[in-house]
Amino acid sequence: MSRRPIITATALAAATALALTACGRDSDSGSGGDGGDGNAAPSADISDGPATGTIEVWAMGTEGELLGDFLADFEEANPDATVEVTPVPWEGAHDRIATAIAAGETPDVSLIGTTWMGEFAATGGLEATPTDVFAEDDFFPGPWASTVVDGTSYGVPWYVETRALFYRTDLAESAGLEPPASWDDLKAFAQGLQGAGAQQGIYLQPGQAGSWQTFMPFAWQNDATLTDGDAYTLDSPEMTEALEYYMSYFSEGLSQDTVLQPGALEQMFADGAIGSFISGPWHIGLVRGAGATDNFDVVPLPGKDDAPGTSFVGGGNLAVFTDSDNKDGAWKLVQYLTESQVQQSWYETATGLPSRPDAWEGGPLTEDPLVAVFGEQLEQTEAPPAVPTWEQVATVIDGNVEAAVRGTIPAADAVADMQSQASSIGTGLQ
Amino acid sequence: MATATTAPASRPSPVGGSPGTKRRRSLLQRRQTRTAWLLALPFLLLFAAFTVGPVFASLVMSFTDMRSTDVRTPFAVDLAGIDNYTALFQDPLFRKVALNTAIFVAVGVPLTMVLALAAAVGLNRITRLRAFFRLGFYLPVVTSIVAVAVVWRFLLQPDTGPINQLLGVVGIDGPDWLGEPSLALPSVIAMATWRNLGTLMVIFLAGLQTVPRELLEAAEVDGAGRWQRFRHVTLPLLRPVLLFGAVITGIGYLQFFEESFVMTNGGPLNATRSVAYYTYDQFSFGNYGYASAASYVLFVAIVVLTAIQFRVLRPKT
Repeated sequence: MSRRPIITATALAAATALALTACGRDSDSGSGGDGGDGNAAPSADISDGPATGTIEVWAMGTEGELLGDFLADFEEANPDATVEVTPVPWEGAHDRIATAIAAGETPDVSLIGTTWMGEFAATGGLEATPTDVFAEDDFFPGPWASTVVDGTSYGVPWYVETRALFYRTDLAESAGLEPPASWDDLKAFAQGLQGAGAQQGIYLQPGQAGSWQTFMPFAWQNDATLTDGDAYTLDSPEMTEALEYYMSYFSEGLSQDTVLQPGALEQMFADGAIGSFISGPWHIGLVRGAGATDNFDVVPLPGKDDAPGTSFVGGGNLAVFTDSDNKDGAWKLVQYLTESQVQQSWYETATGLPSRPDAWEGGPLTEDPLVAVFGEQLEQTEAPPAVPTWEQVATVIDGNVEAAVRGTIPAADAVADMQSQASSIGTGLQ
Repeated sequence: MATATTAPASRPSPVGGSPGTKRRRSLLQRRQTRTAWLLALPFLLLFAAFTVGPVFASLVMSFTDMRSTDVRTPFAVDLAGIDNYTALFQDPLFRKVALNTAIFVAVGVPLTMVLALAAAVGLNRITRLRAFFRLGFYLPVVTSIVAVAVVWRFLLQPDTGPINQLLGVVGIDGPDWLGEPSLALPSVIAMATWRNLGTLMVIFLAGLQTVPRELLEAAEVDGAGRWQRFRHVTLPLLRPVLLFGAVITGIGYLQFFEESFVMTNGGPLNATRSVAYYTYDQFSFGNYGYASAASYVLFVAIVVLTAIQFRVLRPKT
C-alpha cells in the first residue's frame, strides 16, 4: 500500500494530538534512533560509581505510596542522585504510560504490569535490558519470561505474585484427606470437602475477567502452550483435555457457575461454605480477616500427575524508557531494587514477593510457612506471553471458558473458537 | 399640515439615508461583528481543538489500522479503507452487542417514556405531597450511577439479596437475576428505566403544566371524558415535549455502558455487553482504528434513531 495517502490521512488524525501535546515527537524521534524496530536496540552501557541526577519513577498502587520513603537508603548511598516517585493509580496507569510514551514525556523508570510488557515494548518506548548487568539466571524463569518480547528483554522483574491452593484443614481432616498432588487427587479432594459440609468443594472462577488465570494453570500442567513464539497455539488436544477437566468441576456440582461478588469468597471460605480455592498470597490476610485463622492451609498446586503443578505468575517489572534523560541512574535504581536483600526488606515494607530465588532462602520470607509455600510454587510457573495483543486474547479465553463451563459449547469447540479468534487478532508482533 | 409634511424631509430619512449615515452604520455593524467574533474566538478555538478536532481525528482514525503500539510513529500507520467496518460486522460479538443495544433501546425507551408520563400525570393531579413524590422520582437521577448500580447488584443477589428473600417469603424461588444470561439484560433495563424515570418525569410535568386549563374545560363542556381529554387535548399539546424526551432518552440508551459495567461486567456470556462497552474494550485493547469505527457505527445509529423519532413525533402544524 502506498505511503502517501496514509501520511495525509494520519497527518490529519494526528494534527490535533500533536498540537495539544505540543511536542515535536516526530522531530526528535530521530534521537530514539533506530526507533522503527526497537527490538534491535543495543543495551546501554552503565557507568561505574554512584547514580547522579534526578531519577523520575512511576509506581502504582501500594508500591507507589511506599516506594518514596523506601528509597531513603538508595539516596544516602547515591548522594548526587534525587529520586522522585510519582504514585499512579493502577486504574489509569496503562493509559497514562501509553500517553507518556506517545508524547515522549516519560519518567525514567516505571513499574509495568507484566501483561503490558508486549504492548509497550512494541511501541519502541522501552529500553532493552542491559543483560551484562542483569542475569536471567538470578530470577525465577516465569517472571523473567514476562519481560521478553520477541526475543529481547525490556525490563527486570521486581515483585511477583503466584497462585496456590488454599483449603480448610478442619474439613479435610474430617474427610480424612491429604493435600492433593495430582488431578485425580484434586477431584477427590473437592468431593471430600463437599462431603464434609462445604457447599462448593472448590471455587474455580466460572468466567468473566481474569478467569483465564485460574484455567490456564490446568492447561499448562497438561503441557498446553499459548504461543510458539510467532503465533497463538491454543487449539491443542492438551488444551481441550484441560478444559474438559476444568468443566467437570462445574458439571459435577463441585463448583458453582456464579461469579462471586467481591468479598464473598473470603467470607464463604471462613464460614466453611467453600472448601478450597486457588489464589495468591494476598488472600492469606483476607481470609484471616474474615475469621479463618488456624483452620486453613496453603499448598502448591497439584500437577496432572504430581505436585507442584504449574501455576500462573504475574507481578510487576521495572522498565527504563527510551526517552529517559537519565538512563544510567535509572538502571542503577533498578539494580538496587532487584538486589536480594533489598527485595527482602521490600517484602517487609509492601509484602511484594521477591522475583529472585535467593531472596527466599533466608530472612523474612521463610518466617511465615504459608508465604514460603508461594516461594516453592514460584519454581514452577508460567507467565502469559509478552505480546501486544495478549489482553485481547485473554478476554477471548475468558469468554470461551465461561461458555464451556455453563455448558453452552463443548470443550473442543471452545478451544477451536479461542484459536480462530486469536489467529485473526494475531500476536501484534511484526 | 405643512409642518407635518416638511418635518420628516428635514431629517435624513431612516429608510433611504444618505451615503454618510449608511457608511457610519455599517462601520458600527462591522465593528460589532468583529467584537462578537473576537469574544467568541476563545470558545471557538477550544471547541475546535477539543471537540471538532478529536471527533474528526477519530473519523480519520476509523479508516486506518492504528494500534496503541503505533503511538510513537502515528504517521506510519496504514490506511485500512473500510476494512474496520467490514470486520466489525463480521465479528459475532459485535453483532451480539448491537442486538443487545437494540433491545435495550427498543424496550427501555418506550418503557421509560410511558412510566414517566404516567408518573407526571399522576403528580400533576395530586396536590398534597407533590414535592415529596417529585423528589422521590428524581432522587435516583442525582445519585451517582455507580452507587445506584452497586446497590441494585446487592438487591439482585441470588441467595442473600433482599428481592429474592422477599420472593422467598411468598414461596417463590427467586432466580439469579444477573447471573442468568436470559435475565441479565431485562434486569439491567429495569434498573436503567427506574433510574432515568425522574429526568423525563420532570420534563413531562413541566409540559403538562403548560396545557391551557381553558382547553381542557372546553373539552369537558363538550362532553369529553377524562381519557378523551388526555388523548385529544393533552397529548397533542405535549408532542414537542415527548419528542424531546424520546430523543434524549434514545441517545442515552444507545450509549448505555455504566449500568452493565458496574452490575455485570457485560456478562454473563456477553448478555449485557453494549456497543459502547464493546468500543471501550477495543480502545483498551489498543485497537484505536477499529474502536473508532465501532464508535462511528454507534454515531450513525444515533442519527438514524433521532431522525425516525423526529418523523414520528414531529408536532403537527
